[in-house]
Amino acid sequence: MDVAFRKIDIDAFDDEVLREPDLYEEDPRGPAQALDEAKQKQVAVRSALARNDIVDALSIVLDNPPYGPNVEEAKNVSLQILLTILNTTKSTEISTVIKSLSMDARDILMKYLYKGMGKPGWGDISGSVLLGWHEKLTEIAGTGCIVRTMTDRRTV
Amino acid sequence: MSNVLRPYLAAVRSTLTAALTLENFSSQVVERHNKPEVETGGSKEVLLNPLIISRNENERVLIESSINSIRLSIKIKQADEIERILCHKFTRFMMQRAENFIVLRRKPVPGYDISFLITNTHSETMLKHKIVDFIIQFMEEVDREISEMKLSLNARARIVAETYLAAIAT
Repeated sequence: MDVAFRKIDIDAFDDEVLREPDLYEEDPRGPAQALDEAKQKQVAVRSALARNDIVDALSIVLDNPPYGPNVEEAKNVSLQILLTILNTTKSTEISTVIKSLSMDARDILMKYLYKGMGKPGWGDISGSVLLGWHEKLTEIAGTGCIVRTMTDRRTV
Repeated sequence: MSNVLRPYLAAVRSTLTAALTLENFSSQVVERHNKPEVETGGSKEVLLNPLIISRNENERVLIESSINSIRLSIKIKQADEIERILCHKFTRFMMQRAENFIVLRRKPVPGYDISFLITNTHSETMLKHKIVDFIIQFMEEVDREISEMKLSLNARARIVAETYLAAIAT
């Protein structure tokens, strides 16, 4: 007897079934525009880093980051920029830098930290640098910041 | 605790503390059932973003959380063949006795060496910070345990080889 029909997920055919796009608003920018913006940010961040202004550089990259599906390239560029900033910051300055960031920027920074830790060996990711930032950020922003990273569907 | 490991364990501790906010939640698909949502993965709205904490490619922790359960998987450091075998034997030994550890999962998640499944029942009957302490202590000790086993294994192998070769030499 054919029993393959038992494996069919009938709930997926329900009209009221929840799909991925229902959970969050997609990034209004298309892939091309998001990539463009990320590249512009890269230039702005470089000039901010040349001035040794880390707070400014971080707020540029953490402002309105690309999120959701379809914008993988822009996301990678943003992560790359962020890693450059994190790696150049001295470990003694981290606390002061984080303190001068806004609440939203801290949440997004936390998302990027987890994303960076999620792909070890990619680019110039260094586990100890990310863990150092993570520790300082948790100290200042609390565990609520981590909870918001877990619950926010707009993954960076 | 060694100084190198401290930031890693601190990150796991804070993430686990954040993730351990569980509540009772009945299955949305089958009536009168109550399953760990992270295992069934049936509905997207009750699953949260999985988080990975890594020190390097060989040492990482995956924390998958949902409304009523979290799954924490550990990839233990394995530098060479001996450590790989020891790690496999060690985790296997414990996973066969999973019911004694209560929160231990019988099978690791693919790509990891050992997994824990904490449900809302566990967080209700046990103290939350003690569960976190247990996991952290486990992570601290598993590395030490494996390197100790490796040392004693090497020492033993050396004695065996010496005794064996001494018989040939005479």
